[in-house]
Amino acid sequence: MADYAIFFDSSKCTACKGCQVACKCWNQLPSPLGLNANKPTHSYQSPLDLNGDTRIIIHFEENDNDKLWGVNWSFGRRSCMHCYDPACASVCPSGALAVDGETGFVRVSESKCIGCKYCKSACPFDVPRYHGAQSKINKCTGCLDRIANGGPVSINGGTGQTQAQFSVPACVHSCPPGALKFGPRDEMLRLAHERVAYLKAHEIDPSPHASVYGEDQLNGTHVVMVLKYPVETYGLPANPQVNPLTGLLGLMKPLTGLAAAATVAGLGISFLTGLGYKRDKMHYDEKKHEQVDLDTGEVLWRSDAVPGPAGDEDGEKDARPAKKGGK
Amino acid sequence: MTRYIKRHTLQTRITHDVTVIACILLAISGLFVFVPALNNLLPSSATFAIRMAHRVLGIVFIAVPLISAILAPKGVKHLLSNYFARWDKDDVTFIKRFLPYMLGPKRVHMPDQHEVKSGQRLADGVLFLAGFLIAISGVFLLVGTTFVTLDAGLMLFMRLAHDVAFVLFAVFGIAHIYLGAGVFQPYRRMGKTMFGNGMISESDALYHWGHWARETIEKGDKVVEVEDKK
Repeated sequence: MADYAIFFDSSKCTACKGCQVACKCWNQLPSPLGLNANKPTHSYQSPLDLNGDTRIIIHFEENDNDKLWGVNWSFGRRSCMHCYDPACASVCPSGALAVDGETGFVRVSESKCIGCKYCKSACPFDVPRYHGAQSKINKCTGCLDRIANGGPVSINGGTGQTQAQFSVPACVHSCPPGALKFGPRDEMLRLAHERVAYLKAHEIDPSPHASVYGEDQLNGTHVVMVLKYPVETYGLPANPQVNPLTGLLGLMKPLTGLAAAATVAGLGISFLTGLGYKRDKMHYDEKKHEQVDLDTGEVLWRSDAVPGPAGDEDGEKDARPAKKGGK
Repeated sequence: MTRYIKRHTLQTRITHDVTVIACILLAISGLFVFVPALNNLLPSSATFAIRMAHRVLGIVFIAVPLISAILAPKGVKHLLSNYFARWDKDDVTFIKRFLPYMLGPKRVHMPDQHEVKSGQRLADGVLFLAGFLIAISGVFLLVGTTFVTLDAGLMLFMRLAHDVAFVLFAVFGIAHIYLGAGVFQPYRRMGKTMFGNGMISESDALYHWGHWARETIEKGDKVVEVEDKK
């Protein structure tokens, strides 16, 4: 499988939100147009979170920089991380979410989505969002349709090589400062490490917390980030974990099939052994307190309260035949 | 003339039968959610309709027994007293012989039973528990995917509980149908009791629930004589 990644450099991001707009344009995702239709977020971040029509947002967070001037302003990319082993795809009961063989991205087949929202529960980054009107899950697809048109191309960051218009995700294509790139994951990781080394060693404004995100998290993701400030300031989990229940859920389908098949097989054998079974016709005489076989007249049971030839001291016990009711 | 014993009231039969139909339809509609291959056979609008039907049927599955229980509290008390009745020697023997009997009814003969067989108590007990679990988890899944946003971990747990309960329900439900519908030769005509007029012939009652049949015939109030059809 080819292995591609979206590269995001938070130290270059200007939070222009061009990526948000490009994503909406390419994927034909509407925005509220009414007056004050967007709820106030008290931040430059808008909308406040991902939603059924918004697959990517720029996360804003201001933190004290321990200096007399300025702040550490973290601009984070909040969108699908396209995990190597996506928990969303593993719990998807309809196969709507699956790993794309060409890129490694997690594709969404809308026609297969049944809107169960299990993916939303399983995602360690809380990314998939439900589109109520369409009853479908919406999340970043990595613009696989664009990439398929142009074919994945290698992006040589910093060399000025022009990116083919339809060969990269819409967000990458739109990014004015070049904070977003797309290409083979190895190459994106190399760029990320180079950039982190540069940020840490910067002579005027060194960034001791600079790190690469997405290389080791969850065994790797297909979004590789350069984070200038601590991870938490970008709205990202420092140590994302897949809920272990997702693994158990994966076992349930084969287990159910096996259990049902074993039950049917066992009952099939039971049915065959029962073929030809004939049950005796029985009658209970409530006056004599006797249960008799109507075909043979044999007394099968007699109350121990009634002494007689078939019911001695042990009464009911002795009266009960070894063979009862069928042959 | 054939004597019959009234075993199940009309309310019991309606409750049972509606729940059974809901269960079967729930299983079928659930499979379209559970199995991608089935889901992919149909257009998304059809699978959406099936998923919505699953929810409506789920409400029927929960509401019908609840309403029935509210309408007949004495019946619930009677049911519970039967299911939690103290086990006697025959009950234990029944369980010990159950598997050999299922695989050789001509060779193995079962002891007399009270109104609810000991095996029935265990199997139905699992069905009740699985039904309860599937209902509770189903409510959480319905509410958490429709009305409010619940904790992601809780939703995954509820889905696992729903799946585990379904496995139990499927296994014991198939066995219940095998015996209850009279597919197993010695259980022939059993299906008519719940899906028919609620009566069981004296002979069948003596075969399946010897203690209960004799006690009921002695009392006489639930015994009906019907002229045989020529």
